[in-house]
Amino acid sequence: MDAAVFIVSAVVVLTGAAGVLVARNPVHAALFLVQTLFGVAVLFVLQDATFLAAVQVIVYAGAVVILFLFVIMLLGVDRAEDLGIEPIAGQRSVAAIVGASMLGLLLTVLLVGVDGPTGARGANAALGGAEDNTRRLGEALFTDHVFAVELTALLLTVAVVGAVVLARRVRGPLQPMPVVTVASATGSDDASATGSDEATATGDDPAAEADDEGEAG
Amino acid sequence: MLAVATPEVLWWALLPVLFLSVGGLLLLTVASLVRRLPDWLPQAWTVVTGLAVLVACVPMWCEVRDEGPRTTLAGSVAVDGSTVLVTAVLAAVVVAVALLARPYLRREDLPGVEVYVLLMLSAAGGVVMASADDLIVLFLGLEILSIAVYVLAALHLRRIESQEGAMKYFVLGAFASAFLLYGMALVYGATGSTRLALVAEHLSATVLVDDSMLLAGIALLLVGLAFKVAAVPFHAWTPDVYQGSPTPVVAWMAAGVKAAGFAAMVRVLVTSLGTHASDWAPPVGVLAVASVLVGAVVAVLQTDVRRMLAYSSVAHAGFLLLGVQAADADGTAAVYAYLVVYALLATGSFAVLTVMGGDGDAAHHLDDYRGLARRRPVLAGAFTLLLLGQAGVPFTGGFVAKLGVLAAAVADRGYWVAGLAMLGAAAAAFVYLRILVSMYLEDPDAEAADGSTGPAVPLGARVVIGVACAGVLFVGLVPGPLLDLARDAVPVLVGS
Amino acid sequence: MENLLDGWGITLATFSPLVGVAVMMLIPKEREDQHKLIALVTSLWVAFVGVLLLIWFDLDHTDKLQYVVDKVWIDVISSRYAVGIDGMSLPLILLTMLVVPLCIVYSWNHFPDPVNPKAFLILILILETGMIGTFVAQDLVLFFVFFEVVLLPMFFMIAVWGGDDRRYASLKFFLYTLFGSALMLVSFLALFFLTGADTFTFSGLADAVAAGGVSRNAQLWIFGGMFLGFGIKVPMFPFHTWLPDAHTQAPTVGSVILAAVLLKLGTYGFVRIAIPILPEAAVSWAPWIGLLAVVGIIYGALGCLAQTDMKRLIAFSSVAHMGFVMLGIATLTDFGINAAIMGMVAHGLITGMLFFLAGSVKERYHTLEISRLGGLLVQAPRMGWIFGFCAMASLGLPGLAGFWGEFPAILSAYNPGNGVPVETFRTFMVIAALGTVLAAGYLLWLLQRAAFGTPPEEFADDPHITDTTKHEWISWAPLLALIVAIGIYPNLVFRVTDGAVDASLTPCLSVEGEAAEKLDCAEVYKIGHDDGHGDGHDDDGHGDEHDDEHDDEHAASGN
Repeated sequence: MDAAVFIVSAVVVLTGAAGVLVARNPVHAALFLVQTLFGVAVLFVLQDATFLAAVQVIVYAGAVVILFLFVIMLLGVDRAEDLGIEPIAGQRSVAAIVGASMLGLLLTVLLVGVDGPTGARGANAALGGAEDNTRRLGEALFTDHVFAVELTALLLTVAVVGAVVLARRVRGPLQPMPVVTVASATGSDDASATGSDEATATGDDPAAEADDEGEAG
Repeated sequence: MLAVATPEVLWWALLPVLFLSVGGLLLLTVASLVRRLPDWLPQAWTVVTGLAVLVACVPMWCEVRDEGPRTTLAGSVAVDGSTVLVTAVLAAVVVAVALLARPYLRREDLPGVEVYVLLMLSAAGGVVMASADDLIVLFLGLEILSIAVYVLAALHLRRIESQEGAMKYFVLGAFASAFLLYGMALVYGATGSTRLALVAEHLSATVLVDDSMLLAGIALLLVGLAFKVAAVPFHAWTPDVYQGSPTPVVAWMAAGVKAAGFAAMVRVLVTSLGTHASDWAPPVGVLAVASVLVGAVVAVLQTDVRRMLAYSSVAHAGFLLLGVQAADADGTAAVYAYLVVYALLATGSFAVLTVMGGDGDAAHHLDDYRGLARRRPVLAGAFTLLLLGQAGVPFTGGFVAKLGVLAAAVADRGYWVAGLAMLGAAAAAFVYLRILVSMYLEDPDAEAADGSTGPAVPLGARVVIGVACAGVLFVGLVPGPLLDLARDAVPVLVGS
Repeated sequence: MENLLDGWGITLATFSPLVGVAVMMLIPKEREDQHKLIALVTSLWVAFVGVLLLIWFDLDHTDKLQYVVDKVWIDVISSRYAVGIDGMSLPLILLTMLVVPLCIVYSWNHFPDPVNPKAFLILILILETGMIGTFVAQDLVLFFVFFEVVLLPMFFMIAVWGGDDRRYASLKFFLYTLFGSALMLVSFLALFFLTGADTFTFSGLADAVAAGGVSRNAQLWIFGGMFLGFGIKVPMFPFHTWLPDAHTQAPTVGSVILAAVLLKLGTYGFVRIAIPILPEAAVSWAPWIGLLAVVGIIYGALGCLAQTDMKRLIAFSSVAHMGFVMLGIATLTDFGINAAIMGMVAHGLITGMLFFLAGSVKERYHTLEISRLGGLLVQAPRMGWIFGFCAMASLGLPGLAGFWGEFPAILSAYNPGNGVPVETFRTFMVIAALGTVLAAGYLLWLLQRAAFGTPPEEFADDPHITDTTKHEWISWAPLLALIVAIGIYPNLVFRVTDGAVDASLTPCLSVEGEAAEKLDCAEVYKIGHDDGHGDGHDDDGHGDEHDDEHDDEHAASGN
């Protein structure tokens, strides 16, 4: 039974995640995200973490994704983006290879390592004591991890301040990329040798960017 | 209802975090309530807050020295020498950046309160990182620091470069955070705790039959932290971000963020996972050498001084890693000494860059430094000192710092690592030399030579540059006090 | 007489120039006369202190460090402010103290472009501190610091006041030297940590190495690192390419200081640090050092013959001369190293003089193209004769200082020291002797083309071409006098150096453990030593205190 539930919810989670990546319409992607989050909630239930499952549904699916949808609709980006352009040649294939090998590595490690004894208590063993899950969670949060909880408040504040700052528009137009002094082209001998890293043009030229990235990596 | 036993709190140990976060939030509140805040107030407030933290560090240091290190808040926050030292460095950098920021903001006609708020909050995050004794707290500190810095990087709202750099920084930083978090989860899975002290205790008491999960966790932690301190190959964001961000913010990134990142790295790797040093030290050594060499060599190819210094900061990160990979008390002490010196060097250098940027923060090409020695001899002289310090020339703090990490590496039998890093250092010296050559040996452009005497140096920048130069010289001539301080600051884990 | 300078004389001499620098910093740069005066007074003061140091130097115990100061400097890394002078460093220190004021006098009225005497003189004084500091340091970290301090002023001197191609030359100089010293620093640190010594002082490290604890293999590697650092500075054969560029582009005074003192930092490093601390490795490396030295001799000489520029030619001759010095060092004998130190001093005097002359020629003719020069003896007879004299000294004419550097070095290769392959070195000897012939060739060729003949038409009636001026006389006379004095009475140097060289080779003679595999060190040493003075037999205990006067006689009468 457990295995069956696990398999079903795992499929739900993974297809949802894949959907987020593949969907061309941002709204669809957000909905796929909801699917993933629900799947995870089911996994929590399976682990007897009912409280977490509830939080998962309420906070993520109920609040976060709704916020996403709000933003998508408010900003009016609910249209398909052209993902056909590859800013750096060969980037995707390399990324795919690196990603796949990372995944393979991690899976290997986990499949091998999961059998060995670890310091962690069994995730679904009984917690001991009569209190329920929620209560123990609350206690842990406000004793052992009270500092972390307080810090989370600070983190959220920073995020809000940041969002407000970034969303504000300044007076006047955006300044274009500054043009670096033309003297460099004629004067210095080193300048011409290293043209690729120089923002001589209006640097948002994708080719120049690509060059930069290539060199940096 | 059962009473919950709340953990004991050493309030004095939290003073820096409280000062910085409350200072930031208070400023935010006041600024949003008062219609027209006087121009000088946010800056003065930030400076006062920073100084208050610095002052608070003195009794904290004495307390830690006399009574020994300890933990508070149920073992999630450490109070030891390293905490206090890094806190003091961060606070000093906050003061310096605040001093640089006001004339910059006025010159660039940018709104002026958010910088200070975000600066203080991000410093609070840095202090949390430096004092974290728990992986979760560490992660939260890192996020507070990082998110504030992402926004700071984008703060020059008029320049597309600033936005672009911030975007790259954000995306890559988010990746790094994910790696870090995953690594923490695996370490937790392998050891059963997120408390650094308990992790160390578990690892020293138990022989893991199969430590692949722990190793995977360490690897991911390493990747995450290496992103934050901009070590090769995780450095790709650095040049763009340094080039795009407002220059005072870059000073914070170079000096503050790096200090916090390394403090965290030392806490996690050296003190907590020290038992597994033979596993993580070689990769860190590779990162160190790669950072020094790539940073130095690619810096040579740059023509934008900000990018040069960006790559040179990568090389500096490599040197710091050299001290980390030694994985012992000497190496750690060398890292702290290096951090202090680098904070001085980076703050001073970027203060010069702030001044040199001119209207629009655009004049950062090497050619813009031509003939600076003739136009602004004192500024050029100060910049010379700072660059020589970065190059590690004797009688500057840079030499003492480099010697320390190198000695630690060699003592740990890392001859190849040390040798290659020194070759990188020699190559890096060439970079600084290029700037010097430009300042001293080349004639200024025709239009620049026409009666212009170069950029004006505001008072704040003068103070910052002056203090940085004095500090670099002092450490170079009398290295004893700093090295003693750094040695006393080597963190010790205290079981809760 | 009471030794008033004991304990602080060295510090005084080393840092006095910096006091002068500090004073000059405070004076605006328009007051050029004051700058010149302060710089001159400072350098003369240093020279005066140097003379006092010499007067109170105990010549009977040249092997002992004198005026020693040994204080904690950087406690954390066990580095000490340890300085001292012994017979090996004294001649070089005095050479430095002599050359610097002469350079200041020489440039008195003609600073190269861009004039700026303030900056120029400040650089010279900083250089002086660095150079003296390197020679007196008895602690590896301190040594390294001073070694590096020299680098930047020289870089700026070439880069700011140099010729047309100065950027390239200065960067090449800087990078080469920096790469070398980077590796050197690593080997210093490795040495320190491998021996587990508790200080960085030379003597402490030498004792620690002698006590064992460093594997032979590690010693070889460490020596290799030092070899790169010092060898680039010397410069030895494959690493020499920075030298001709730097010399050609440097201003006259820069060339003089570079040739007279800076090159000696490398050779001094070998005899002071590398060999005494790592005697075993030195023995293994000796053939390779000897080989590179000999290649340098021949290559430098052939290079000279191919030059069209007078300064470049002199620069290549430096490569050849330093080859002789290195050959002497590579023999690892008392005799060879004495010769090497003599070679350093002589080369400093003579090549310094030649660069002065080249500078003066350049000033008058505005070119150093050998093919365009000629008739110096007609237009400026005194200068022409001085030029001829220096060329003779440089090619090693007996009776002048150059001879005592070259000839004993060659001879010492006949019987190299302890464990060094004899046949190899005899081959080297033959090749090196060929080098002296080549040296005579290129120097006479230079002399003939530049000084003899009739003046070329373009310069025939040039009113700028005057004979030696007052400033030139003042700055040249001491050098010329010393070239003669040492040439006639080489004991001036040998007497000072011998005891110290002996002492520095002591660890070489008492290498433990592998004595069976090697030739009996004492015996070889005896032969090598004897050979220096004909077939006399010296029964002195080796590695013991030598009777100084006795020894001096040998050295002096040798050859």
